[in-house]
Amino acid sequence: MVNTSLANIACFVERYNFTDPKEALALQNFKMTAEKMNCRFDFMFRESLLEIPKYDAVFIRATTDPLFTAYIVSKTAWEMGLKVVDDPKSIQICGNKIHQYELFKKYNIPHIPTVFLNKEELHHKRILDIFRAFGRPVVIKAPYTSFSKYVEKVACETSFREVAKRFFRKSDVLAVQKFVPTAFDWRVGVLNGKVLYVCKYMVPKGRWKHGAKRRGKPSFVWGRTISLKRENAPMKLKETALKACEVVGHGLYGVDIKEVNGNYIVVEVNDNPSIYAGHEDLRDKDVYSKIIEFLIE
Amino acid sequence: MNPPTFFDSSIKGFTLNINNDYRYLKTGYYVSLHAEILGNSVVPSSENIIDAYRIPILLLRASKAGIPTVPYLVTSSVKQMISEVGFPMVVFAVNPFSHEGFKTAKNRSALYRAVKSLGMNYKFAVCVQPLRGEMLSFNSYFGKCDMGKDVQEISEKVYEVFNIPICKLHVQRIEECVYLSGLQPLKKEEISPLGLKMISEGICQISKNGEHLIG
Repeated sequence: MVNTSLANIACFVERYNFTDPKEALALQNFKMTAEKMNCRFDFMFRESLLEIPKYDAVFIRATTDPLFTAYIVSKTAWEMGLKVVDDPKSIQICGNKIHQYELFKKYNIPHIPTVFLNKEELHHKRILDIFRAFGRPVVIKAPYTSFSKYVEKVACETSFREVAKRFFRKSDVLAVQKFVPTAFDWRVGVLNGKVLYVCKYMVPKGRWKHGAKRRGKPSFVWGRTISLKRENAPMKLKETALKACEVVGHGLYGVDIKEVNGNYIVVEVNDNPSIYAGHEDLRDKDVYSKIIEFLIE
Repeated sequence: MNPPTFFDSSIKGFTLNINNDYRYLKTGYYVSLHAEILGNSVVPSSENIIDAYRIPILLLRASKAGIPTVPYLVTSSVKQMISEVGFPMVVFAVNPFSHEGFKTAKNRSALYRAVKSLGMNYKFAVCVQPLRGEMLSFNSYFGKCDMGKDVQEISEKVYEVFNIPICKLHVQRIEECVYLSGLQPLKKEEISPLGLKMISEGICQISKNGEHLIG
């Protein structure tokens, strides 16, 4: 049969992408939108990587990290000259928060006060200096954090050492940040230098981050997501998000921003942002078509 | 200059990052990253560090640069490995945290064991290659090694493409030809006195141009 599609898009996913019905529905929405736009849209799993050259573009929905299969997919597609979201450079910068904060410092992006801690510096004086500079508690962040994991709040030297030692098993450098409590984090979706959607990721009651582990259980409790029309979001917020993305790349990002006394400070820029039906797409329904358009551009 | 001092510095200029282990998230990686943020030209680059330790990317980029490479398959499905590659095969970890190198599998049970161990209990995919000849492993210092001419040629080309000053290379000799198979970090104790001499020669060669050295 002759393939008359405008473009063939592979969407790299892992089985877990279909466990949450809202994420599964969003993936189906991508497929339907692409097909309406006369594109072929196939879900590609890790057993089918040999098929990458058959496609014109690759859209990665599996969790990205330079250590994961998603990076192999991204770099392979990139080397073969395919359009790819998320591109390898974005994965490299967003997958390592040390890399990202170094760029924020270099380019004066307003971000949460952050210091880096390397393995040799885990001693009494350094810990006290950090507490003195940032107050208590502080937040220790492993560079490979995603979905609110590997980010912990500590208020004393004992817990500081315990958390840092645990995170140092995988990375020789960690980020330590000032604790900035807010009722929600802004999440601004950005695609190729333009705002795609705006949400508020609420912090669940009694917690301090959007996704928090239940005490003694492996499961997570997530805060609500409140969506706004992108036109209605504060201009300064959108400008801050775009400025932060500029130093990362021109792909698809979810920027977490805190609003403190009318100022906007960047928490982090994430590649591969969550897109769940009824959440990020609630007020701006063109999220799907804009991403497909970008892939086939 | 040692890495902690370098992290606190904002020294400008070419940076040569000498380490036996450049694994992602380890000090060797962060030194190159810091140099890049400072705007320095650095050997090796953080991108090359990530790519060279990830076997499928290593082979893809090497092959694009004209280096003979063995065919490979990335998957975690044992069934697919057997049907598309066949026994005997070489299994490499795709997760670059591993120091283990590769395992060979001549039958189904050996393959299951290799995939389970190198894929960290099936969390990661693995990279499998057909074993059609003899596997050779050797240390490469600035592209130099103490092997025959054909192997030396591959070692030099890999250095040209990825600029990893110190590493272990795996190649497969099939009949009269040599094919690149893998690359991994070295342990300090694996560096012999001859290796140290080759490293200092490599450094001398580069520092003749008056470059900064970070080791």
